[in-house]
Amino acid sequence: MSKTLFIDPKQMRKSGWITFKDIPVNQYNRSIDDEKANFSKEDFLRIYRDMAIIREFEMMLHTVRTTNEYEGIPYKYTGPAHLSIGQEASAVGQAYLLDKDDYIFGSHRSHGEIIAKAMSCIQKMSDEELLEIMKNTFEGAILKVVEGKQKNTNSIKELAIDFFIYGAMAEIFGRENGFARGLGNSMHAFFTPFGIYPNNAIVGGSAPIAMGAALYKKVNRKKGIVISNVGDGALGCGPVWEAMNMAAMDQFKTLWEEGYKGGLPIIFNFFNNQYGMGGQTNGETMGYQMLARLGAGINPEQMHAERIDGYNPLAVIDAIKRKKKIIEENQGPVLLDTVTYRLTGHSPSDAETYRTKEELDAWKAVDPMETFKDELVNAGIASQDEISEIRQNSKELILKIFKLAIDDSISPRIDLVKIPNFIGNVMFSNQRIEKMDDRECDVLIPKQENPRVKQIKNKIRVGVQDGKPVSKIKTYQLRDAIFESIIDKFYTDPTLIAYGEDNRDWGGAFGVYKGLTESLPYHRFFNSPISEAAIVGSAVGYALCGGRVVVELMYADFMGRAGDEIFNQLSKWQSMSAGVLKMPVVLRMSVGAKYGAQHSQDWTSICAHIPGLKVVYPATPYDAKGIMNTALMGTDPVVFMESQKIYDIGELFHMEGVPEGYYEIPIGEPDIKKEGKDVTILTIGPTLYQAVEAAKILEQKYGISAEIIDARSVVPFNYEKVIESVKKTGKIVLASDECERGSILNDFARNITELSFDYLDAPPVVVGAKNWITPAFELEKFFYPQADWIIDAIHEKIMPIKGHIPVNNFTRNEQIRLSKLGV
Amino acid sequence: MATLVKMPKIGLSDESAIIAKWHKKKGEQVKAGEVLFTIETDKSTFDVEAEVDGTLLDVFFNEGDEVPVLTDVGVIGSEGEDISSITIARGKPESQAATQRLQIPEDSIELEVPSKEKIEKAYPDLAEAEESGIIKISPRARNLAERAGVDFRFTSPTGPEGRIIERDILALIEKGPVFTPAAKEEYQKSDMDLQVSEGTGLGGRITTGDLQKNSEEQKVEKEASMAAKGLEKQETAQKSVIEAPQQALQYKEVKFTNIRKVIARNMMNSLSTTAQLTHHATFDATEILAYREKIKATGKKYGLENITLNDMVLYAVSKTLLNHPDLNAHLVGETMMVFENVHLGVAIDTERGLMVPTIFNANLKSLNEISREVKELAEQCRKGSINPDYLKGGTFTVTNLGPLDVEHFTPILNPPQTGILGICSITYKPRRVNGQYEYYPAMGLSLTFDHRAVDGAPAARFLKDLKTNLENFSLLLAR
Repeated sequence: MSKTLFIDPKQMRKSGWITFKDIPVNQYNRSIDDEKANFSKEDFLRIYRDMAIIREFEMMLHTVRTTNEYEGIPYKYTGPAHLSIGQEASAVGQAYLLDKDDYIFGSHRSHGEIIAKAMSCIQKMSDEELLEIMKNTFEGAILKVVEGKQKNTNSIKELAIDFFIYGAMAEIFGRENGFARGLGNSMHAFFTPFGIYPNNAIVGGSAPIAMGAALYKKVNRKKGIVISNVGDGALGCGPVWEAMNMAAMDQFKTLWEEGYKGGLPIIFNFFNNQYGMGGQTNGETMGYQMLARLGAGINPEQMHAERIDGYNPLAVIDAIKRKKKIIEENQGPVLLDTVTYRLTGHSPSDAETYRTKEELDAWKAVDPMETFKDELVNAGIASQDEISEIRQNSKELILKIFKLAIDDSISPRIDLVKIPNFIGNVMFSNQRIEKMDDRECDVLIPKQENPRVKQIKNKIRVGVQDGKPVSKIKTYQLRDAIFESIIDKFYTDPTLIAYGEDNRDWGGAFGVYKGLTESLPYHRFFNSPISEAAIVGSAVGYALCGGRVVVELMYADFMGRAGDEIFNQLSKWQSMSAGVLKMPVVLRMSVGAKYGAQHSQDWTSICAHIPGLKVVYPATPYDAKGIMNTALMGTDPVVFMESQKIYDIGELFHMEGVPEGYYEIPIGEPDIKKEGKDVTILTIGPTLYQAVEAAKILEQKYGISAEIIDARSVVPFNYEKVIESVKKTGKIVLASDECERGSILNDFARNITELSFDYLDAPPVVVGAKNWITPAFELEKFFYPQADWIIDAIHEKIMPIKGHIPVNNFTRNEQIRLSKLGV
Repeated sequence: MATLVKMPKIGLSDESAIIAKWHKKKGEQVKAGEVLFTIETDKSTFDVEAEVDGTLLDVFFNEGDEVPVLTDVGVIGSEGEDISSITIARGKPESQAATQRLQIPEDSIELEVPSKEKIEKAYPDLAEAEESGIIKISPRARNLAERAGVDFRFTSPTGPEGRIIERDILALIEKGPVFTPAAKEEYQKSDMDLQVSEGTGLGGRITTGDLQKNSEEQKVEKEASMAAKGLEKQETAQKSVIEAPQQALQYKEVKFTNIRKVIARNMMNSLSTTAQLTHHATFDATEILAYREKIKATGKKYGLENITLNDMVLYAVSKTLLNHPDLNAHLVGETMMVFENVHLGVAIDTERGLMVPTIFNANLKSLNEISREVKELAEQCRKGSINPDYLKGGTFTVTNLGPLDVEHFTPILNPPQTGILGICSITYKPRRVNGQYEYYPAMGLSLTFDHRAVDGAPAARFLKDLKTNLENFSLLLAR
């Protein structure tokens, strides 16, 4: 959506053909002799050495998993071992030209990639740099283990290799000295100082995250390229397509400002080992036949797609060299179909029922460990002895590190007896960082000149004045509060970006961002494709790399489309990295109203269920601004729920008005919105206003004084205020717009029961929406909790109210009946 | 075919009654019309007769048990008949006891607490819960009961599904026996029946002292013959006191009857909750004495009752009260309920104790009607057959100690009524007429009134009006 882009019917209706360029397939045809000009003997041998180290590393894992010993040393490892034996040449070839500023994101099968990348970085980095990194990693804990155990004790590079292999192996074996304290394990090993970003156990999971990392590099003008390494099976996953599409958005060329123009600096590399677990992508589960073909479906540049021979390290190096150049010319994204083959099973439990011995033997015959060696020997680059020495050294290296990594006294696991809350402590980073970078903020106009800022200045910052409601148009609304907080941060944190569907120009579907366009260049504020997975996934990558980001799902109902990105990625990387990574992401999600079954669901509880997410649901302008400020100051992922029912509501509780200046409301602290003494009503989100209505009726009609507590946050949540209230009243009703079954309110109710059992005069009662679809707007009052539901529930389950005639059925028989029916 | 015997429902608002005595034992033969058992409500005593012939095969409650009305209390059938198949709506004495306290209405307005019947109607599961023997109580209510020292079994649950909730305990604290924590502990440890109606502790809390007394009383009762010999025990227990033991044993313990308990409670309640005081006056009874003589001589001929001086005072009071509406009223909280008609409570002395039946609309009745009604009511009270509905609803009470030669006394108000008139004996007083002293029969009137409702002068004016009306009784009759 942009007025600068004219959609011309003449053009749109013109007859013609889409033409394609030829897509190169294994076009590398140089001999090793040809390459002697480009590689020294050391280079050639180092390529072979890296392949050999990877091969030995993985053979060790394979042996341990299948025989419970390695080189006669018993060890039982039961964790995952998705090995890439046979794929070493493609990994080493890819990494050969990459340095620490180039980021790779991998899959469950990425041990080889990370070792190759580390070897390449170690080769390129100075001794000082390496020492610095080693000393700073967990205060030198890893370094201490390997220090002095090298053949050449003067070689920092040798030390760094030991350091990396040990850190990676300890991680795979779940040891405290692992790069993620053993919390990441085999499928999630990473080491960011070498530009190795988390591998991902969700097939294709890395694609949108890597795209976000590329976005980070582009927006923040950082050096380097990003490579998304996933398998060919990942092309069956929507988020991978979403990521490629978003990386190739036209606006990078058409709308983004000079200096930011051009596609994202990313290679979507597919290690095409022919199988998605056992499903054969070529011929069985896909239709592309040649993976590289798919580039033609994304953009006119066909993603510069190419099939390359991953069994020849030199062919891969050649491809990366050319693609890197394309990216440096702002011509990304790139698609690479790196043909390879794994010589062992998907995992040690793979019975290999899906391929023949002939096929396996045919690939073993071209195993690069042999073919590349033969080429080196035949070309007179290395002698057989030199090759044998490399293999022997690799074996010694892995054995040495193996002994260190499995020794419980040297490599203990995190001590959850001594520090029972170790993992709890890394679930959130809980830091306060005002800005993620110090440079100036890139904005178009001074903040005070922003038209929306000017408009808000004239608004009345309370919803009631002199006992009379302020008109909607004059009131400072909840949407203004969210806007005010976010625009403020845009002028504070230069890394902050925001995007989502219809954010720019439209101003967000519900007007929250109205006016933001005027202040911000495209590279800080843009429209995304309708790709919820890519929206959230890219935010994860953007934040992992050090940026702050606010992304939006237009409706909470669309969360399903971003399920993996919210539940497995956004929520987990801080803790899976043992606190090494931060995740300053605010995920705004609006709960619909009036829009029926697929656009009106409050899914707060689903987010609350996932460890690692902070979940808030403010219901007043004062709270919305204060909580958004806190979310934007923090380093944790915050799911920020908004209700379309109350975007236009004014401040009815904080009668001093919503402050114009900056203030914070701590996440996790509920708020007493109205004091009372007879019964407590705890609400989440907009149900606050139904509670207020109920309290009015209780007070005026029945002389019952209700205390209303607005949860404001769902995760974390401080029960102290609620318990104090229950101590006073002995009675509590919990209400929200979420369907009653599985609602987080049930958790609240259970905890309140446990924490204040002796003070309770009745079990806490949950009043949720019906376990139905959300009906048409006109029928919503039969679906969402209403004031009379709350009163009826009190009457029926807590304290019969003299003179009250209930209209809703809250009896136990009805409760049992409905549960039996599952509604 | 066995027949179940039910606890009858006598008063309209009766919820339960106590089985005072079984006249037949289990296994004994009964005939229709024979007295089977006697029950006591809080206001009277009734004999319940067997309705069929047969053998009393089983009784489900013991003497002293409180039983909800319409509950089966026993079964009559042929000897040896198998009654195991009969489903019996047995109540549990334990849990029924819980309702006891609150069901002694203090003749005040209806308690806010819904009746058990109402709760049962609203929450059909209640009966089921009670049958399972579980007392449902919220933790909060239990804690409050614990802290306040009340026994929650004495409360009427008003929560969902028959659960005792906080407000029930608050009601109990207001009305029922409240223990000090120590006493509560002791009470729970012991198996004693609680007989203490008023505690001596702070705010009327029952103390360990009260309990000891209670328990001693029970002990004495149980071991009546041991009493005299119990000396040694007492001596060892109280060595330092030299004289006390012997004297302490020289009384007989008599348990309060149910009626006595109610009277005691009502009296204490009256004194502790009202601002009552008494005016005394006398009037010249010459005319009413003359009228009485006339009735004696010729009343029968006119078909009149044996109209007594008491009846005449009642009549005069009923005709005078409406001019003094504040004395024909109930004071509830800070609200006066001023009645349109006079419903005259008449104190009747019975063997079981004081009872106060009501002559409804007395102001609309003739002297003869009043006289007849009083006699009937008094008779029913003495027999114990009075319908309890006649034992409430009074708007003013008259009590008469004149025949017992009491010259002045201070009647105790019957709250929420605002006045009670005591009739005293006739004495002869001198008065000076035309320089000469003459004696005239002076009858005493003692008016106790609630100063919260009525000030001294208006109360005196009522007495004065009454006096005038009585001294000019024939004129009053003509009105």
